[in-house]
Amino acid sequence: MIEAKGLSKRFGATRALDKISFEVRQGEVVGFLGPNGAGKSTAMRILTCFISASEGSARVHGHDVFDDPLAVRQRVGYLPQRAPLYGDMSVLDYLKFVADVRQLDKSTFKKSMKEVVEVCGLAGVLGKDIRTLSHGYRQRVGLGQALIHDPPILILDEPTSDLDPNEKAEVLRYIRQVGEKRTVVLSTHNLNEVEEACARAIIISKGRVVADGNIEDVRARGGRVRYNLMVDEQEGLTNGAPALAEVAEALAVLEGISSVKETPTDERAHAFTMLGTKSTDLRAEIYRLCVDKGWLMLELRRDVQKLEDVFKQLTRGDERSDRGRDLLAGDDELEDDEDFDDEDLDDEDLDDEEADQDDADEADDADEDDADEDDADEDDADGADADKADADKKEEE
Amino acid sequence: MTTTMSIAKREFRSYFDSPVAYVVICLGLAALGLVFFNYGGGFWQVDRASLRQMFVQLPRGLSWLVIPVVTMRLLAEEKRSGTLEMLITLPVKDHEVILGKFLGAWGLIVVLIGATAIYPVAMFGWPWDLGVLDFGPVVSGYVGLVLYSGAAVSVGLFISSLTDHQMIAFFITFLVLFMLHFLGNSITLSVLPEKAEFVLSFISFDTRLDSFNRGMINSRDVVYFMTITIGCLFGSFWALERRKWL
Repeated sequence: MIEAKGLSKRFGATRALDKISFEVRQGEVVGFLGPNGAGKSTAMRILTCFISASEGSARVHGHDVFDDPLAVRQRVGYLPQRAPLYGDMSVLDYLKFVADVRQLDKSTFKKSMKEVVEVCGLAGVLGKDIRTLSHGYRQRVGLGQALIHDPPILILDEPTSDLDPNEKAEVLRYIRQVGEKRTVVLSTHNLNEVEEACARAIIISKGRVVADGNIEDVRARGGRVRYNLMVDEQEGLTNGAPALAEVAEALAVLEGISSVKETPTDERAHAFTMLGTKSTDLRAEIYRLCVDKGWLMLELRRDVQKLEDVFKQLTRGDERSDRGRDLLAGDDELEDDEDFDDEDLDDEDLDDEEADQDDADEADDADEDDADEDDADEDDADGADADKADADKKEEE
Repeated sequence: MTTTMSIAKREFRSYFDSPVAYVVICLGLAALGLVFFNYGGGFWQVDRASLRQMFVQLPRGLSWLVIPVVTMRLLAEEKRSGTLEMLITLPVKDHEVILGKFLGAWGLIVVLIGATAIYPVAMFGWPWDLGVLDFGPVVSGYVGLVLYSGAAVSVGLFISSLTDHQMIAFFITFLVLFMLHFLGNSITLSVLPEKAEFVLSFISFDTRLDSFNRGMINSRDVVYFMTITIGCLFGSFWALERRKWL
């Protein structure tokens, strides 16, 4: 349905998109994820033929976006960021205008109008001027104009930004509803929305695709599961109260546990957070260990990594390097550019890339210690990454 | 073509959805009346059954106020508010957008010009009959006005396509049109050498309109206004296409 091959876009010296490739199949609802400025909107504008790519090609519904923009636009319903609509027109007039430009005949317009009004809940505002509407309603009108010609493909750029939680939920509900019959690509930086509305996520950072797959796969890309364990520090099951170090040591040697960290607690207990590198469930192992050692287990919880964590992990390096850039000035940027040029977007390369960035991050860490202390988990992840990076480097050598 | 007309229709209507059209038409007519009957002695003292004054003053008024106001927002405002993205991602070709916007704005100006027909009709037809009017120069004057307004609107559209700020578009359009009128005026001509004078009067709106006002439809003048119109439309088209590559 949508096929992008090596799309690049430069705005002067900045590279908004860097050879991104992805494919969206018929009937999929895909979330385009990325921090602000990652290139989501640019990609969408290329797909809707508003701007042209500097390199690469894209096909939408079998039509090339460069050679046949009209055919592409006919088959796409597009809602740009912030739903820019003509404020001086009434909702009905606006929808009529869009239908007019799309050359819908009267009977089709009537029919689709009925559907759009129902799906988007516009019945109460049809006669009102768009400028008097709340942002939520404007978004609905925007969605309505994108649906008026019953397109097979919907491209929505941040359809839920600036909405209050209720409106957000509503819009997501519409998207799910219209996504039953259509291919939908929506961009957002809100991860809950993707988890709620999409089956698949493409994560973009700094103009590159850093993860692509169904939500479960993307989540698994993080590759970490977190276990929280609490053991009574005053009495044991059989052998009396265990010492903190003893428990920590025993946990650390468990197979599949990559790091053990003591977490502060108000209760009279030893609390630990462990990171499992494998996706296999270690709860049984941990329970068995506790029974064997005769510890009194108070709590054991397994947290599958949230998409948010994966997102942070995948895009953090880039943001960090952004923040560091001011201090490190020009040379760094040059190096970066070289990196960009000979880089493939394969997963392995990506890991290396992440590692590189993490190395760089360590250097920056000094400045950011304060911020990092708040976020102990992230630090852990960082440490693990750095370890991995070192290992990778040795292997290469 | 239907797409072009849809865009033109929307553009034209949007003037009437906002106060722009009413203010422009009412104030335009009122100002014209004031100038026509009072400026430089006015109609009464000239004491001739002629509308020459109207055809001289009307294009100036249009250029200095009406056209810059009407054209300033055409593309600049759409770019700033982002509605251009919405418009262009509909199945429209870029030239249809430009042509539609041009026709919409020109339409409003032509309506205003049409409204001034109330002067010859009311003064020399019904209800008053102030003398025998030679309708030839009036007709050719209107032909000239319509052609001229097309050129002036396209200049405004072109300038509006180059900037995101409607105030900037307004002032530059005003300035350019102001100069186009006065290039051939005696004020500049007395200072400049003869050759420059010839060139300037060649590209001046005032000298071009003069022959229309005398009742002569000269093909050179027609071609002149049409060239400006087409040239500026191409320029706007190019400016709109530019977004793809920047």
